[in-house]
Amino acid sequence: MKRILSLILVIGILMSGAFGQAKKPTLMVVPSDNWCKDHGFMMKFNNQGSSEELPDYKKALQGSSDLILVIAKVSELMANRGFPCKLLEQELKKLSEESAEDAMLTSKSGAGVAENPIDKLKKSAKADIILQITWSVNVTGPKRSVTFVLQGIDAYTGKQVASASGTGAPSFSAELPVLLEEAVLAHIDNFNNQLQAHFDDMFANGREIIVRLKKFDSWDGDFESEYGGKELGQVIEEWFQNNAVKGRFNTTDATENMMLFEQVRIPIYDENGKAMDARAFCRKLQNFLKNPPYNLPSKLMMKGLGQATIVVGEK
Amino acid sequence: MKRNIVLVLLSAAFMFISTIPAMSQARAKKKAMRDMEAFRYEIECVGTGVQGTYLIKVWTYSKKPKVAIEQSKKNAVHGVIFKGFAGGGRGCTSQKPLASSPDVEDQFSEFFDKFFADGGDYYKYVSLSNDGSIDSEDRLKVGKEYKIGVVVSVMKDALRKDLENAGIIKPLDAGF
Repeated sequence: MKRILSLILVIGILMSGAFGQAKKPTLMVVPSDNWCKDHGFMMKFNNQGSSEELPDYKKALQGSSDLILVIAKVSELMANRGFPCKLLEQELKKLSEESAEDAMLTSKSGAGVAENPIDKLKKSAKADIILQITWSVNVTGPKRSVTFVLQGIDAYTGKQVASASGTGAPSFSAELPVLLEEAVLAHIDNFNNQLQAHFDDMFANGREIIVRLKKFDSWDGDFESEYGGKELGQVIEEWFQNNAVKGRFNTTDATENMMLFEQVRIPIYDENGKAMDARAFCRKLQNFLKNPPYNLPSKLMMKGLGQATIVVGEK
Repeated sequence: MKRNIVLVLLSAAFMFISTIPAMSQARAKKKAMRDMEAFRYEIECVGTGVQGTYLIKVWTYSKKPKVAIEQSKKNAVHGVIFKGFAGGGRGCTSQKPLASSPDVEDQFSEFFDKFFADGGDYYKYVSLSNDGSIDSEDRLKVGKEYKIGVVVSVMKDALRKDLENAGIIKPLDAGF
């Protein structure tokens, strides 16, 4: 009897391990482009002949203690709700340390670390949900107030998943950091209520992702090649129909060379109860294309939990 | 003998009269509880409280101002859980209730009966500001009863955490 009980206990423990928890999105607080522009924290760069301006986060973090205060306060309050945020400053430091280490790293035979242009491009501070903050100070006579905007943006779909905004009480004497702290405290609960609604929707209808399909030019076929009387693009759409939660997805773009699927709702867990993300979902599509009658090798690249690209034709 | 009977009757009458205020107080308390369950109170934001708290004014109805002041603590916690409050002036922001729906009160009626009973746990999360002193403009006579406005501070973060631990409301990171 004791053996049976311990066997049941072991199976229970194994089962609980197998049915893991959903992949937790990472959060990072970032100042908005608007705020950076207003405060002069921008950098200019030449993008193939045209001059572009981008926010200079490093300069902003070094130059504005108010920004650090707001980031620290939002991060503290989010950590209290079980979502510790990635710190922008630390992420930027980590990136520069990592590239310095990669540049110096050699094997005993003198080999360096392999890095292709895509790897280099992907080296940026990132999170699954960006908490974008903007504030402006309103001055009316001797009184000052702060208008504060906090937006939660899904880094992959680009959708705003939560937001809170408003103008605080005008004050004669309160200093800006005090007004900013008040603004964060006043808005964080409403923001979290909307974030909760987003998570509830995610658990009910699946995680929303974006999938891109492209082809290597070395491959002589394309998405209009026919297999058993159906074009490859049509076969792929049918695969999405069968595998997306409730068949929900949009074919945003489709040509013979590329396909873009947006608002693809993928299950939170796979059939074995393991947490699923865009990569795991697209791995299935990759295997589907690899098998007969298609026999198409492909390269799978991912970006966080919610974006994946499959390039068909070779690895 | 006659004198003894008169004495007994007098003391019985005295005892009866002395219990009348207590009985009417108890009736007022009961009525205030019924009002709370029927959401018959109003909440307005007073300002941004210190971290982890809401600073609100609760308007409570009662024939006895003393009962209204005491009841306002319960109403404040009840309102933060089930009703939320509107923003408006003074830089106040509207806040949604902690519970996702008012049905939660019926679903967990056993828990909330105990929670809002006299001396219940609701007391841990609320404190009166100004030691409970009421401004004259916050003491209104409406028909036969008073409408009393009391400023209270509700420790909403602690309240949320405890309700999450009790399984009444869902934490933000549930499922992750």
